[in-house]
Amino acid sequence: MQFSEIRRRLSYLLKRRDQASDLDEEMRLHVELRAAQLSSSGVPTREALDAARRQFGNRTQIAEQSNETWAFNWLDHLAEDLVFAARTLRKSPAFTMVAVATIALGIGLNTAVFSVVNAVMLRDLPVADAGRLVSLWEDIQREPDVFHGKDESAPATGPRRSTVSPANLVDYQTKTTSFEGLAGVDVAQLNLTGVGTPERLSGLSVTANFFPLLRVRPALGRAFTPDEDRPGHDDVVLITDELWQRRFGRSTILGSKIMLDARPYQVIGILPPGFLPASELGIEAPIDFYVPAAYPPDLLSDQGRGDHEVNVIGRLKPASTLASARAELKVLSQQLANRFPKSNQHVTAALAPLRDDVVRKVRTSLIVLLAAVGLIVLVACLNVANLTLVRSIARNREIAMRIALGASRSRVIRTLLTESLVVAALGCLAGFALGAALTRLLVVLAPATIPRIESTTLDAKVFLTTVAVAFVSGILFGILPAYQITRIDPADSLRSADKNLSGRHQIRWRSTLTVAEVGLCTVLLIGAGLLLRSFAAVLNVDLGFQSERILAANIPLPESRYATADQRLRFFEQLEARLRAQPGVLSVAFCNRLPMRGGWGTGINKQDAPNESLDTDAQAVSVGYFDTLGIRLLRGRLLTSIDRMGQPLVVVINQELARLFYKDADPIGQLIRRGSNGPWLQIVGVVSDIRRDGKTAKVTPQIYLPAAQTAVYPGRLADLAVRTALDPKQYAAEIQRQVWALDPDQPVTNVKTFDETISAAVAERRFQTILLCLFAGVAFSLALIGVYGVLSQTVAQRTAELGIRMALGASQSSILALVLRQAMGLMAAGVVSGLLLALGLSQYMKSLLFGIEPHDWGSYVVAIALLAAVGMVVSLVPARRATSVDPMVALRYE
Amino acid sequence: MTPLNDPRDQIPPGTLDMLILKTLARSGEMHGFEIANAIQLNSEDILQVEEGSLYPALQRMLVKGWLVGDWGKTAENRRARYYRLTARGRTQLNLEIERYHRVTRAIERIVQPA
Repeated sequence: MQFSEIRRRLSYLLKRRDQASDLDEEMRLHVELRAAQLSSSGVPTREALDAARRQFGNRTQIAEQSNETWAFNWLDHLAEDLVFAARTLRKSPAFTMVAVATIALGIGLNTAVFSVVNAVMLRDLPVADAGRLVSLWEDIQREPDVFHGKDESAPATGPRRSTVSPANLVDYQTKTTSFEGLAGVDVAQLNLTGVGTPERLSGLSVTANFFPLLRVRPALGRAFTPDEDRPGHDDVVLITDELWQRRFGRSTILGSKIMLDARPYQVIGILPPGFLPASELGIEAPIDFYVPAAYPPDLLSDQGRGDHEVNVIGRLKPASTLASARAELKVLSQQLANRFPKSNQHVTAALAPLRDDVVRKVRTSLIVLLAAVGLIVLVACLNVANLTLVRSIARNREIAMRIALGASRSRVIRTLLTESLVVAALGCLAGFALGAALTRLLVVLAPATIPRIESTTLDAKVFLTTVAVAFVSGILFGILPAYQITRIDPADSLRSADKNLSGRHQIRWRSTLTVAEVGLCTVLLIGAGLLLRSFAAVLNVDLGFQSERILAANIPLPESRYATADQRLRFFEQLEARLRAQPGVLSVAFCNRLPMRGGWGTGINKQDAPNESLDTDAQAVSVGYFDTLGIRLLRGRLLTSIDRMGQPLVVVINQELARLFYKDADPIGQLIRRGSNGPWLQIVGVVSDIRRDGKTAKVTPQIYLPAAQTAVYPGRLADLAVRTALDPKQYAAEIQRQVWALDPDQPVTNVKTFDETISAAVAERRFQTILLCLFAGVAFSLALIGVYGVLSQTVAQRTAELGIRMALGASQSSILALVLRQAMGLMAAGVVSGLLLALGLSQYMKSLLFGIEPHDWGSYVVAIALLAAVGMVVSLVPARRATSVDPMVALRYE
Repeated sequence: MTPLNDPRDQIPPGTLDMLILKTLARSGEMHGFEIANAIQLNSEDILQVEEGSLYPALQRMLVKGWLVGDWGKTAENRRARYYRLTARGRTQLNLEIERYHRVTRAIERIVQPA
């Protein structure tokens, strides 16, 4: 269409009223002139006019045709249809309300879940050109495990994801061309002292190129120079706007020094407000400050290549792609492996878009939830389609009349579809409002471990998606009823008053829709069942230690004041003695890290087979550790206060290690050592297994070193556990008080009861299980409404037949059975189709399940039993109505 | 509805536009009735325009910009819209005539006795 033509059409649109009368005038003139011509040739005037009219044709139709050539005609029709739809819907408020509410429910849930998915998975990081940011890590191909014999619990082979070795990072930075830059990032925690209460601050240590890479400049001051990114020059800090506000009241602080871990740091810059929420990088602790990474030279040397300790983010150059960068890294990794076989032989650098990488752990979970609400929207559509079909019985004659009067079928379908779309639009509005409320609820209830969830908002993308979903829904639930109703033969429909004819036809359609509803609902119920059973399985896992009434705390002693392991040991021993003296304290323990609060691992070798090594979870623990956590002694002895420096070096191992390393032999008295050159440690005891990393973790081989033999372990003592007689929460202040009595500058952090930690660890699973159960419940209710509706309609339509049956002597129970059989048929067909679908779909949930298979028969049976039982109960209502039909009334009705 | 004994033929489909354009090209300005009459007369009463279909066709050609219509007065002092060819209409007419000849020649070649 050319521009001039559009202009002509538009001007027509503006002057259409004139144009219509112009055309009318032209046509009238034509007819009159023709009539005059005819009468002048001898035809009587009256007949001449009639003849001229006949010859001309249907003026209305021609006017309409002419109109249509100007297009924009559909606009007219749309306006007419909208007005008509509004009028019809107002006339049946009950239908309108139920339909709108159903759609709103579906749309609302959909909007809520999608807004979370949008915030977590789709939205870019709030920095410039975030699409090119990548996350880099190292995949370490495990060496074949050393255990012999059949062992089902052996750790899976395949690459293990690891943080990056700084020495390797330098190569990735300097020997590739794909990246504008690669920055090392690591969580750093420092004690802030000297201003008010000592506080443990959490921040990031970053390489100097971090800020340029994210295209961020401090709001005040400057970012790090490369020179400051070196040990000895790194006593500079950038603080966030939030910390500036919270701790320094926005005073002029730029250039002055603050004490972090008892070392003076110069504040060189303050970041703009809102940079950068920690969860954008998938970090749980808040970010208060940034310090230079300043990797020490030994870490950057070739000997340091085995230390994988930093996270890496990078920015791709505009010219490179993820694939090309990956290819380049693969080649480089191979080169490094050849040059440094000892440290790099099994190491490959891997790459993913930063946004995807941050949310990789919640991805499946969110997709499953989104799919679930998608199914709900479908069920809601089916339900409304069902309602619309019922309503269309009453409208059969109206539609037949319209078709008989010359409305084209397509026009009728369009009118009916417009009605559906108006319902969808209302549902969309209500649903969006509902979605806004649900979204807030969802974000409040969601566990904090879901990255980026707090940034959930209803933005334009969410709104447009909602509108699109509503539109498609409107078409979906409108098209079938509209199509079905226009297939009526108007003559038949107008002639007979019998509504049953088309009604019976409709019941077939309604049954199909209901079967589909039941099917989708079955899928959701099975999914919810699988998650529920997984959740139950997780809750039932025995951690191997007693978590009740234990308060844990972290006491991060800074290196500047507690330089040696002995100093730290002395601090903790004093603290232990002070706390144990408190009334109500049953026992006290300290160690590197308590279970579920971090830890460290080490490879061990045994003396009698120096070539066998095993990765273990290691822990330096105090004497009271086993008692406090309720870890049982199985063989030999526990650690005692004798086991100090100067005494023989000893170690306690767990059952799993004993099993893997010594099979049936007695491990007591055997010697093991860390790595290939540590001192030999004598095994003095075997204790029961614990799941260090929580309920879903495997039991790992574990070693316990005496905290007092400070020379044999590298990690620092940091965690404290107190078992109390009463509520442990009230001892938090006591711990703080006793710590300050020893060192007034020492903060205490991460104070939590074990039960809180365990509960938080399953929070994500609980959240997703509750949501899916809720969604299944919604779908279930909708499906039941569908079943109920179809049965009720059938019973109503078979009133006469049922009456005759009863008049001829059919018993009430046989009538009941008749209706229930129909219900059973609907449910069975739905369940079977749902089962097939669920069998296929449940594979995608595999990573969310725990302790059960995707084809866990229990979940399937429970879902089916639930559907069948509740379905039957719901069917009883129309069935009982059927048995109470009075034969006389029914026959008179006929 | 043309009676069976009516000697006049319906104009072949697709040629109405060409006939209208040619008629206007020959006579300059005309209103609808005159166009219908002119086609009938010039074809020596063989072709009959289905009168109603004339007007949607005229509207279509207004949209396309082949014609312009101005209101004027007839000899009987009645208001009427007089249609006139535009430059684009003239180009279109040539196109249509050319196409028409091409088609007729092709058809003739087929129906002529060998």
